Amino acid sequence: MSAAIGAGDKKSANVELNIVPFIDLMSCLTAFLLVTAVWVNIAQINIQPKGKTRDQAQVQQDDEHVTLSVLVQSDRIWVGLSRVNEFQDIPKKAEDQDWEKLESTLKEHKISAFFADRSDVEIAAESTVAAPVKYQDIIHAMDLAVKVGFVDVGLSDPQGLAARPSL
Amino acid sequence: MAVHSAGPRLYKSVKFKYLVKQSGSAAGSRASNVSLNLTPFVDMMTILVCFLLMVFSSTGQLLQAQRGLDLPVAQARETLQQAPVIIVTKSEITYQGQLVATVESVLRDDSPTFKIDALFERLDAAAKKIKEDVALGRQPKDLIKACDEAKSNIRPVPGKICPDGLAILQADETTDVRLINKIVNTAKAAGFDNLLFAVKNK
Repeated sequence: MSAAIGAGDKKSANVELNIVPFIDLMSCLTAFLLVTAVWVNIAQINIQPKGKTRDQAQVQQDDEHVTLSVLVQSDRIWVGLSRVNEFQDIPKKAEDQDWEKLESTLKEHKISAFFADRSDVEIAAESTVAAPVKYQDIIHAMDLAVKVGFVDVGLSDPQGLAARPSL
Repeated sequence: MAVHSAGPRLYKSVKFKYLVKQSGSAAGSRASNVSLNLTPFVDMMTILVCFLLMVFSSTGQLLQAQRGLDLPVAQARETLQQAPVIIVTKSEITYQGQLVATVESVLRDDSPTFKIDALFERLDAAAKKIKEDVALGRQPKDLIKACDEAKSNIRPVPGKICPDGLAILQADETTDVRLINKIVNTAKAAGFDNLLFAVKNK
């Protein structure tokens, strides 16, 4: 690569610019960045394990507050309020769970008087050999809860939910 | 077939001297200084380097790629931070890269303790060490500050959560939730009461 300096003069000189080191540097940098590049963006959902576990002899129940509980089953999702004992059943829609309905239900609860200034929700999944629930489903439910505004997500045992539908 | 005189030539039909003339090199009939235009190459390299520098991210390096592990997809945008990693693939459970148990054996186990003993032992030891590190101030200052703020119930900034009781769960999207419940209970029993579920961004 060359550059003409002082064109038109008698003493014009055709200066050669050595770009070989530049190309070397670029090649090394490109190779390094391609090798170390991370193409998958990884994020997190922060949860606090809650509720009763079999290891705990006693469970401290907070009876003062109404708790919003979400129970994911293989064929439906239950959304319930403790103390009030009010449950909403969201049956499965064709192949997948009805996530739109769950989102709208959680939104309704978020703007209600109970949860307008609160951001806690407890989520559990009931999985059995006959009716398994996948990890992706519970992550989806947590993701929707965070999206709606329930950022303090507690993961619970199905038996440890504050509000659990009696079937 | 025509018989040509001996001399340099490119392949069979184009003589080397014509190629030299076309390239516009030196005036001499015998000069053969072919210049290579590097400008498009340098342009391309510059754009590629700029693009790679822009997408460069260090968060993915916190997690190990493993066979049989497809993370679940979510819209969450909070970045991960350094913490002990529990990995659940389609066939095995590992802690910090070491095999702890197989998925099949854990799902088959119906013991009343409701926790994974091998994982509990390792998590328990790790939790005690982290607690000691935090107490002695061996963690970065911003994380020590986060621990102090956590005692005052101040919500931590994403990526700056107190390391005491913090662990990452990296599980395959098809994992049975019974297994997740067992791991969460085990972690809780060992003192890890704050779990980060690693997810792929949509």
